[in-house]
Amino acid sequence: MGATRQIKGKPTSKTGGASKSGPSKKSAKPKKPTGSAPEGISKRKQKSMALAKPGGQQKSKAHSTNPHKPKRRHYTEKELDIPALNGIIPAGIAKPKGQKKGKVFVDDAQSLMAIMSVVNAEKDKNVESKIMRARQLEEVREAKRVEAEKRSDEKMKKFEETKNGLKKKKKGRHSDHAKFEGVDDDVEPKEKKEKKVQGKKKRVSFG
Amino acid sequence: MRPLTEPETKTLFEKLAAYCGKGIQDLITAGGAEDRHVFRIQGSRVYYVRESLANLATSVKRDNLLSLGTCLGKFTKTGKFRLHITALSVIAPHARYKIWVKPNGEMPFLYGGNVLKAHVGRWSEDCPEHQGVVVLSMNDNYLGFGVSARSTAEARKLDPTGVVAFRQADIGEYLREEDTLFTT
Repeated sequence: MGATRQIKGKPTSKTGGASKSGPSKKSAKPKKPTGSAPEGISKRKQKSMALAKPGGQQKSKAHSTNPHKPKRRHYTEKELDIPALNGIIPAGIAKPKGQKKGKVFVDDAQSLMAIMSVVNAEKDKNVESKIMRARQLEEVREAKRVEAEKRSDEKMKKFEETKNGLKKKKKGRHSDHAKFEGVDDDVEPKEKKEKKVQGKKKRVSFG
Repeated sequence: MRPLTEPETKTLFEKLAAYCGKGIQDLITAGGAEDRHVFRIQGSRVYYVRESLANLATSVKRDNLLSLGTCLGKFTKTGKFRLHITALSVIAPHARYKIWVKPNGEMPFLYGGNVLKAHVGRWSEDCPEHQGVVVLSMNDNYLGFGVSARSTAEARKLDPTGVVAFRQADIGEYLREEDTLFTT
């Protein structure tokens, strides 16, 4: 172990003997990238490194700031213990649990018959009421028609009566006149003449 | 292709009940328990089909299945049901009200016209207004179906050119609507 130490120590002592500060500076130089170009790195690489540095540093800075920020925690509703608002489900919307989704088919003969009997009963009722209403309307119409006929008959009768009356009157007047004339002419023409004569005789005039 | 849901079934039966009487229940019980007839919907069209056939049809891809059984009609986008002329053979034997059309009225009806009073040979008694009726020729061939325009009592007083029944479907559609009758 001690030999090795000696071997290791020799070169260091040599360099250290020349100038203590010098070799330390030299050894530091290759570590520092900002100093003169190191012997092992090509110029192009050096350039690229120099260009990459500022950008890379900035990026690393930006990244370094975010992770330090504490992440916002998302709380669930249960954790927050918020009181439930308007939690009532209307009766029409609420569906019993475990109910089958989708359409309910009617395929068995019994349920079909049940539906049909309901429909038939409704239809029969409708038809019956329709027929009844039609009959009633027909009766009313018939009664109105009979009434109207009666009225028109009466009117006609009255009209006929008045017509006959007028005819009779006319006839009567005519017949009276004729009668008078006829009687005068046929039965007692002499008397009439006499009367006329008498009448003429009786006439008095005042002067 | 699938069975009908409850509201769909109700809508379909309501429409069928407008034309049929009590005999409509035979549609469900037809074929007995072994091979009864069922209602199936494919797209918007409803088919009345033998159950064994409907089960076989499940092996056909939905898009490739054009039609099977008897097409009764289709559901509109508003959820109503419209009967097609193809349903005539299903509803006619159970019809509640019928109108027989004279030979001179057959062609006007088959060309899409309404039934006029002058063309009526005879009609069911006590038919109310706006009720489904099946139209037949005088030799009892089914020609189509429609809706009564007037009740029987009112129709008696109607003038000969007055409309007695509004046409809904007639067998002339097999020719007139040939292109669209069986397409989806």
